Amino acid sequence: MNTDYIVKKHHNVPQNGFDQQVLADEALLVRKDIVSALYATGGGHYGGCLSVVDILVALYRCSLRVFPEQPEHPDRDRLILSKGHAAIALYAMLRRLGFFDWPLETYASFESALEGHPDMRSVPGVDFSTGSLGQGLSVGLGMALALASKAPQVWVILGDGECQEGQVWEAAMLASSCKLSNLHAVIDCNGHQEWGHAAISRDGTPVPPVAELAAKWNAFGWSVIECDGHDLGTLARTFTPPAAPQYSLPTVTLCHTIKGRGVPLIESDPRRFHCTSVTRDEHAVMIETLRLK
Amino acid sequence: MTLGEYAGRRLAQLADSDPRVFVLDGDLADSDGASHFAQKHPDRFLMAGIAEQNMVSVAAGMAAAGMKPFVFSFGAFLSFRAYDQIRVCLSQARQPVVLMASHATGLAGRNGKTHASLNDLALMLSLPHIEIWTPVDSYDIDLALDASLRTANPVYIRMPRAPFPASERLQSRLEIVRWALPKQPNVILSHGLATRWALEAARILQQRGMSVGILHFARLKPLPSIGRLLSGVIRGFVVEDHVEGCALSTIINALQLPMQTISLGWPAIFDGKSGHDTKLRDHFNLSGEKLAEIIAAHLNQPQQC
Repeated sequence: MNTDYIVKKHHNVPQNGFDQQVLADEALLVRKDIVSALYATGGGHYGGCLSVVDILVALYRCSLRVFPEQPEHPDRDRLILSKGHAAIALYAMLRRLGFFDWPLETYASFESALEGHPDMRSVPGVDFSTGSLGQGLSVGLGMALALASKAPQVWVILGDGECQEGQVWEAAMLASSCKLSNLHAVIDCNGHQEWGHAAISRDGTPVPPVAELAAKWNAFGWSVIECDGHDLGTLARTFTPPAAPQYSLPTVTLCHTIKGRGVPLIESDPRRFHCTSVTRDEHAVMIETLRLK
Repeated sequence: MTLGEYAGRRLAQLADSDPRVFVLDGDLADSDGASHFAQKHPDRFLMAGIAEQNMVSVAAGMAAAGMKPFVFSFGAFLSFRAYDQIRVCLSQARQPVVLMASHATGLAGRNGKTHASLNDLALMLSLPHIEIWTPVDSYDIDLALDASLRTANPVYIRMPRAPFPASERLQSRLEIVRWALPKQPNVILSHGLATRWALEAARILQQRGMSVGILHFARLKPLPSIGRLLSGVIRGFVVEDHVEGCALSTIINALQLPMQTISLGWPAIFDGKSGHDTKLRDHFNLSGEKLAEIIAAHLNQPQQC
């Protein structure tokens, strides 16, 4: 495979200025928050929430300039969780940052502001509403256009399955032609989707949700980075935009992740744990696994 | 000049004093009127490509960052192709994007059925928070653009393809809902291009010794209070360039006014057709002559309670 287009790869690069153990400790706590909240509320998207945790921790702790006390601050960096089914992961992170202190165990209930998918109208810190897949990158492109002459950076987290949506590629085309270096896509490449390709390819050969993803983004005119999506040091360094953009192009980071990362029970059955409920015993096993770490 | 062309020129003027204004176009600028804005403000114009879903979401992102985007395309491609983006990014997220739906309505000329937007108003009316304008003339466009710059809601402005001679502007007081012909016991309720159809029908009825008033709606949502305007009216003929029974007529029926309501529009079985406006309207009983015949038949009957 020709990989000349991959402009840089990071392998366990220490991140100066950030204590990697502190990041890891917080990622573990976020995972516990997710598992606890989903069990308390009847289940949900375990796999995709746990795969994106390290990405969220690295972005919010090492890159994004946000103002929890003033969520709408005009100079804030923006983050759009385009794979909105990982809402509880975002809420857990925002809660730890101090955007709100509502109990996560109210998630997706009628009385709660914590809507099932991210809702900018009800949850402080959510920069745009998502849930219908494929729309977040376009929204981020619009923000990046509006903020092009200013400091804020715009980050959009997508799923690799989400990249099957045609609108993603409409946005990819326009973003590169606009040469928006303040737009950053991050793809949580956990290799699975709800009930799709990885398990049921027609000829029996496992295939990723979107084949040759790096080549596709490169062909659409993006600067492509690939990295381990669970290596917090690498993520922290990757998500620190240079003071002067190296390329007048939008950047996409393909983060290779494991669906259900951190909980072997979930990692072992990614199709079931895309979205499900669990028994009390299974929940106890999950919590014990996370406690031991 | 079409209403879209007028809107493009007017918006270019308004942008001089409002730096938030930005125009996106789906590669139809020479048809939908956006080219007039692009020529005057090239730095505030983006040809977003033939990708309406992306364009609507991009506009939403711009609005969330403080800009006032106006999105130009044909009504069919905005309302149908990008409906989910309108639902999520504009309605649910409540972003003040203005959709400039040119070449809307059932009359798509030689383009035919794929370019007709026969039920776009039903789609927009059934989404919360979206303000819906149905202009008939340049006065209405002025009203709609001024209001669009002030509102915090998304807006849908529905503009027909047909050129509109300046001399045919309604000669009535400039209001969102206004009498195009003075109030009578029998009135036509209409919006957009259909108000011109209503005027044609009224002239024919007048020649036959029958009088109807015409109440024109430049905006369908939010609708000003019209109960007092229609007090004393015994029959309301709702004439629409839209599938009958699911736009203005739905709104009027929901008000439960003490009058008989008759809905006239494109039949629900019609999925659009190439052809001259005159032939299409005549075939589906929406020409001035056919509308006059239908209305006259009702006027010659005793009122139904």
